[in-house]
Amino acid sequence: MKDISLQVEQTVKTYGGVVALADGNLSVRSGQVTALLGANGSGKSTLSKILTGVIAPNSGRILIDGKPASFNAPDQARRAGISAVYQELSLIPDLTVAENIWLGHEPLRAGFVHRAEMRARTRKLLALFGGLVKPNLQPDAAIDSLTPDERQIVEILKALSFDPRLIILDEATASLDSQQVNRLFELVRDWKTQGMAVVFVSHRMEEIFRIADKASVLRNGHTVGERDIAATNERELVDLMIEGAAVLGRERAPDVPADQPVRLRVQDLKTPVLRGVSLDLRDGELLGLGGLQGQGQADLLMAVFGAIRSSGRITVSGQERHFSHPRQAMQAEVALVPGDRGSEGLLLIRSILENLLLASWNRYNTPIRMPKARADGSTVGDDLKLVMASLDAPVSSLSGGNAQKVVIGKWLLRSPKLLLLNDPTKGIDVGAKAEFYNLLKQLRDAGTAILFYSSDDDELLGLCNRVLVLHDGAVSAELRGDGLTRENLVAASMGAA
Amino acid sequence: MNARLAGLLNRNPYLLSLVLLVLMIVINRALQDNLFEIGPLNGNLRVFTPAILLAVGQTFVIIAGGVDLSVGAILSMTNAILATQIPQEATAGVVVGALALAFGAGLLAGALNGFGVTVLRLQPIVTTYATGFIFSGVALYVLPEPGGRLPRDLTTFWRNPLEVSPDLHIPMAIFVIALLVIFWIVLTNTRYRQFLFATGSQADAAYSTGVRVNRVKFSTYLLSALFATLAALALTLGSGTGNPRAGDQSTLPSIVAVVLGGTRLSGGQGNIVGSIIGAVILGLIGNIISFADLDSWVRPLVDALIIIGALAIPGLIRLARRLLL
Amino acid sequence: MTTLNNIFQNRGRAAIPPPLVALVLGIVLFGVGGLLAPGFTNPTQAVNIVRLAAFLGIIAAGQTLVIISGGEGIDLSAGALVTLGAILTYRITDGQDSLILPALGIVLLVGAAIGLLNGVGIALLGMPPLVITLGMAGVVTGLVYFYTRGELIGKTPPAMGRLLSQALIGPIPGVIVLWLLLGAAMWLLLERTPFGKHLFAIGVNRTAARLSGVRVNRVVILTYMASGALAAFGGFVLLGFTQTVFLNLGQPFLFPSIAAVVVGGTVLAGGKGSYWGTMAGALVLQVIDSLLLALQVEEAFQLMILGAILLVLLTMYGRQRAVRQ
Repeated sequence: MKDISLQVEQTVKTYGGVVALADGNLSVRSGQVTALLGANGSGKSTLSKILTGVIAPNSGRILIDGKPASFNAPDQARRAGISAVYQELSLIPDLTVAENIWLGHEPLRAGFVHRAEMRARTRKLLALFGGLVKPNLQPDAAIDSLTPDERQIVEILKALSFDPRLIILDEATASLDSQQVNRLFELVRDWKTQGMAVVFVSHRMEEIFRIADKASVLRNGHTVGERDIAATNERELVDLMIEGAAVLGRERAPDVPADQPVRLRVQDLKTPVLRGVSLDLRDGELLGLGGLQGQGQADLLMAVFGAIRSSGRITVSGQERHFSHPRQAMQAEVALVPGDRGSEGLLLIRSILENLLLASWNRYNTPIRMPKARADGSTVGDDLKLVMASLDAPVSSLSGGNAQKVVIGKWLLRSPKLLLLNDPTKGIDVGAKAEFYNLLKQLRDAGTAILFYSSDDDELLGLCNRVLVLHDGAVSAELRGDGLTRENLVAASMGAA
Repeated sequence: MNARLAGLLNRNPYLLSLVLLVLMIVINRALQDNLFEIGPLNGNLRVFTPAILLAVGQTFVIIAGGVDLSVGAILSMTNAILATQIPQEATAGVVVGALALAFGAGLLAGALNGFGVTVLRLQPIVTTYATGFIFSGVALYVLPEPGGRLPRDLTTFWRNPLEVSPDLHIPMAIFVIALLVIFWIVLTNTRYRQFLFATGSQADAAYSTGVRVNRVKFSTYLLSALFATLAALALTLGSGTGNPRAGDQSTLPSIVAVVLGGTRLSGGQGNIVGSIIGAVILGLIGNIISFADLDSWVRPLVDALIIIGALAIPGLIRLARRLLL
Repeated sequence: MTTLNNIFQNRGRAAIPPPLVALVLGIVLFGVGGLLAPGFTNPTQAVNIVRLAAFLGIIAAGQTLVIISGGEGIDLSAGALVTLGAILTYRITDGQDSLILPALGIVLLVGAAIGLLNGVGIALLGMPPLVITLGMAGVVTGLVYFYTRGELIGKTPPAMGRLLSQALIGPIPGVIVLWLLLGAAMWLLLERTPFGKHLFAIGVNRTAARLSGVRVNRVVILTYMASGALAAFGGFVLLGFTQTVFLNLGQPFLFPSIAAVVVGGTVLAGGKGSYWGTMAGALVLQVIDSLLLALQVEEAFQLMILGAILLVLLTMYGRQRAVRQ
């Protein structure tokens, strides 16, 4: 493999008035793993998408082997030897594993696709992860039959199939279990010796310190520093990433008195993913759900809310209910903050006011009494310290943290007794997270029963006194008090108790 | 057992339409004993051919995630061109010239559609509805009233079955269908096929994988126009004359045929074999209605009800599966 | 490159509302018309244009609702329902003023029933709106044939002509007053009722709407029922103007009804728009139509120009996101 050196200098990308990247820089060489770090919204993804030709920068330079390069389409970047693995998967649902991996560069014979050769090469690639995936991962398998970790592996193999000189792993380990991550890192070390350059975009410090040689940090769209991994530590990198760390106090909340009413009781809940989960949640309790992504946490929350079908017994406020539609859950004073606010929680092109009141319009008569609606919206906005131009601005103009506040505000307007949250601080900057934690604590102290899934162990450790860890659709451990430690959380997430 | 059946149906969505096809043939045969004799068979297939060709062209557009509501108008337009450019005593040169003109106009129409959808980035439904008006206008301009008469040699060639041997007569339409199937089989083994399905399944993902999504979409509108022109050729040869409104009622059936054939309207999945079957099914339904000797004032209603019923079948199956699971 | 599209997309700064742009466009075209066809621009012509636009505007009201509802919402059965509404009124009243209200009731009921079938097909059977409403148009047309058996017997009640077509308040024809009332009612419905808010919500994002307690299926079905009823109502009102019926009465209004909605700034993808925009759009289209009539343009060119204008308007208003940012 020919050596490669890549320099990105002073790249800028704006979308209308929003600056995604103000001053992006990166320097990568063969045989090196460069980690790219930054909080959500720092410009990490934008920078990596510029490198692969998916996004066109407004200004800046890219130099490959010292010569200027610009990409007008993804296949140009690929031809220059740059390949990327993203977390937002780029797989085609209606094509098979082999077809996806070789899309655009299928092996040909006399101008026609050579399917046998395609299958053979796919099998060789799949062998790289041999033994760590279920046997259903075959060249002719349909993509929609695969689990998230299998899809991630296909993504990695796809990037590899282009024989890249530079490979970008953009949050590529999120869906993989620890053994798969180990194997991936073994492969990365092989690639290094073969002369490949690797860019590792991640927020997992532990992995960065395991695999990277140097780290480049982005903050608010600017590259603020580069460090050799051997010469730095976690604290220094975190300090570069954020202005003022968000300190989650480790003061445990007092245990909930046993005479508090049980707001939610779930017994043997089953969905296609859940294999029989039971739990009790009292008023004033902040119960955490933990575990790796995709183990059933979202299903549990959605099932309680009546958004998906389930079997088993659910008792809310003392009455056995089985909601068939979210509206029924809402009428029982239950609320759900869903996992993906863009696609599940917000009407992006509508105004902040309309988003805040979406669940409550029936309470304002017909014709709607707009002044009262606006006043209520305004009050909620103030309570949440929402930073916005006006109630009529589209919700898409808000930052991640403020947008999430709108989602919560929508539900707070209804004063729910049971609040369900699906990974609510994903993609929110550190300052907003701190405000959010305070809000949760206030709600808890006021008597709301809260059930809350987080993919961030620190959050669970800092907020909850009791955490149910889900693994493979069942509760693998209930951790509380002194038993609630990071080691136990991680162990339970893997299925080991 | 249920899951295996579902899986089989998923990978070969036109199996269901085969069942419908057999059903229609049986009913038709019951009403018309000589259905399989060479005369009626040839006549039927000849009449079905334009619809088959329209459905095939439409399939490409739909697989790529779009739709072409101007196919009927393109049919009218190129039919008008052929009828006016091929007089009764035409020489071979004149015929070739007329074909060139018709196909040129058809491809230009397809290019306009493709331009609208890929360069102007307009929504396919309303765009092709709008361009349909333009093409209808051109048809009326070229041929204000039905007319024209094609040379006897040409029409006879098309209308009569090919005499392979004294005992074996094969309708020309069979050759057309065979060519279409061969074309599809060849296409299935090209990179283009992968690009086509990728574009219709998830255009964003396809783009970031390097598929030239816009080029693919543009090509499907060219294909659709090309097949609409071929349909006009079949129609003109079959009727021997021209009609500027010939295609007015042909657009909806082309979409229905595609849906009946199991192709998903949202794209990413499909097969022209299914569309061919779908077009034949619709043709047989028309036959059945004629033979059922219904009041001519009832026929349009029955025809429309059957079409809606057929369109509802995939949805009813899905509903049944959801309720029974 | 600042296209009109950019002006409409709310960049956070003041954006010119599309209905206003459309209104100005209509007035400008009206003035320009006077240059192309001398004598075109005068008060009588203006009133005439607004009156004709009122009919189109009423017919396009239902179309506005279904397009706002998203999910590729469109109602291609509107044209056929206009015909059915007019013919039902014609026959049921048979010229008697006393039967106007009962006829209206039946017309609205029938329209809503057809809309119900559309809505159920879309919401419960997952059929694409394009396909089912196109098919339903065939069914409704079939119903018209079946009901009339080709004999268009009946009479228009004189009161309808008096109230709608002729001047009611000052020089203003009744239909314009009706149109304004409808405009106010539509505004109330869309902006001041929970239904309206839910309608916009499902147009933007059905998942988020459902997870916020909106009963999506219910809203979809009600929307198509309203669209059906409004289209049939449009036919009822149209009778007051045409004073007679024919089998193809409503079809010429279908395409312009969609165009009016688009020109008025309602986004085809759903979730954004207003009926004021549709009203302005109807005015623009009617100015163009009347101008073409005054210039005595033949049908072929009328179609071509209509299609071309819509393409231009779509390019200004209806462009979608680019594949590459």
